[in-house]
Amino acid sequence: MKELVRDTYRYRQLIWALAMKELKVRYKRSVLGFLWALLNPALMMLVLTLVFATIMRFSIKHYAIFLLSALLPWTFFAQSLGYAVESIVGNGELIKKVAVPKLVFPVAAVVSNIINLLLSLIPLAILVPLMRHPIYWTWLYLPVPMLALIIFTLGVTFLFAAANVYYRDVTHIVQVVLSAWFYFTPIIYGLDLIPVNRQWLFKLNPLLYVINGFRLAVYYGMLPRWQSVATSFVCAFAALLIGYGIFRKYQDDFVFYV
Amino acid sequence: MSKQQPLPSPIVVKVENVTQRFRVMSERPDTMRELVAGFLRHKVSYRDFDAVKNVSLQVAQGQMVGLVGRNGSGKSTLLKLIAGVYKPTAGRVHVEGTLAPLIELGAGFHHELTGRENILLNGLLMGYSKAEMRRREQSIIDFAEIGEFIDSPVKQYSSGMHMRLAFAVATEVDPQILIIDEILAVGDASFQQKCFARIRSFRESGKTILFVSHNMQQIIDQCDRAVLLEHGAVLADGVPAEVVETYKHIWAPEMTAAD
Repeated sequence: MKELVRDTYRYRQLIWALAMKELKVRYKRSVLGFLWALLNPALMMLVLTLVFATIMRFSIKHYAIFLLSALLPWTFFAQSLGYAVESIVGNGELIKKVAVPKLVFPVAAVVSNIINLLLSLIPLAILVPLMRHPIYWTWLYLPVPMLALIIFTLGVTFLFAAANVYYRDVTHIVQVVLSAWFYFTPIIYGLDLIPVNRQWLFKLNPLLYVINGFRLAVYYGMLPRWQSVATSFVCAFAALLIGYGIFRKYQDDFVFYV
Repeated sequence: MSKQQPLPSPIVVKVENVTQRFRVMSERPDTMRELVAGFLRHKVSYRDFDAVKNVSLQVAQGQMVGLVGRNGSGKSTLLKLIAGVYKPTAGRVHVEGTLAPLIELGAGFHHELTGRENILLNGLLMGYSKAEMRRREQSIIDFAEIGEFIDSPVKQYSSGMHMRLAFAVATEVDPQILIIDEILAVGDASFQQKCFARIRSFRESGKTILFVSHNMQQIIDQCDRAVLLEHGAVLADGVPAEVVETYKHIWAPEMTAAD
């Protein structure tokens, strides 16, 4: 774990350059370029609001904000995982020729998505006053669930990036897992929609606590209970410990399988 | 016994009883379906293959060592072990000082990024800082003769430009140890000359160079020591002309026919 922090710090410039490369390549050859990072969530908001608030008539006030406050952190998680799972295999040619710590690739994938997440908060911050929803002071609390989310995401990405080196099926499995996970997490709905005797099942979801933190702060203007915050950090560090532990154990072998 | 001569130069590359084992799968299960199918058939379809076998090698600072041997004799594997790309299955590799691996030039280049962006990325990959790369940027561009193309994506570069830029990045950072794997076979004559001129100036400034080539004349002309590898083991080590002679002797056509 000490090694993870040390190498991340030592190679911070490389990680940053790789993350910027990822963003540049992602938006290269598009007329709007980086604007897509803002437009993507904005357009998604529009579609989802249309579907859930207008057509399906969810009776949640300011549904777009309710939805986005949970959807943006989810999107960060899903996209990070989608990118990072390929990060070792995708950089295989590089790994075979240059001695470089392997952890920089999944970390860079996550960092590029952190930038995306921060950018995507801008359209949300514009939308809130636009819909005459109050901007609560609890927005200031957002860095806390964000930190837990990033740590959790890193752990999960380490695990899947390593697994994908050995079995390329993992890329496909991740997609299936993500779509199931999406519906299992209260994003398009609230946890209160779930019958009380079934709620324990949803509470097993480690992502619930972070996503709940986002929604409480942005939509309800409240802070989560300390137990919920503690749970989110325990889950996050557990994921990182397991994910990075496995990654570290196998990283010297990656070069033979990519 | 030439090692008995007083050698004040410190050892900068130390390879101690290194073995590199590769697991060669006849049908490596790349997907879980194949894995499950393999289990069901109770088939373990791999064999172990030692690309480098119990090799020990010491290189003193300022030496230019040529590695010779047939294809598959373990030259590239040995270079990659020294470069730190592989962790040895057994034994120890110790390298003193910064090392620039010219194993495949431009390995870190991304075709969508510009030459300038790639200079930075490649330098960072080799472990240099951003400030350092910015400082050396102009001399890299000058040496590579890239001109105004430096701000175009490298996918638009000719293969010669690509090579020149990669060589420039790898050598301009001023490494103490240079590893060159057959890369000088490409590029036009004038650039090759420029590369060799730079390699000479590296030698004059007391840097260590490990060099793989199939061009025996290059080995004899450039190196002050040669190592012959065969089946992953050191077969001869000494004066380039003699080692090259051994190599030619062992692998002369009539001998291979008898083999």
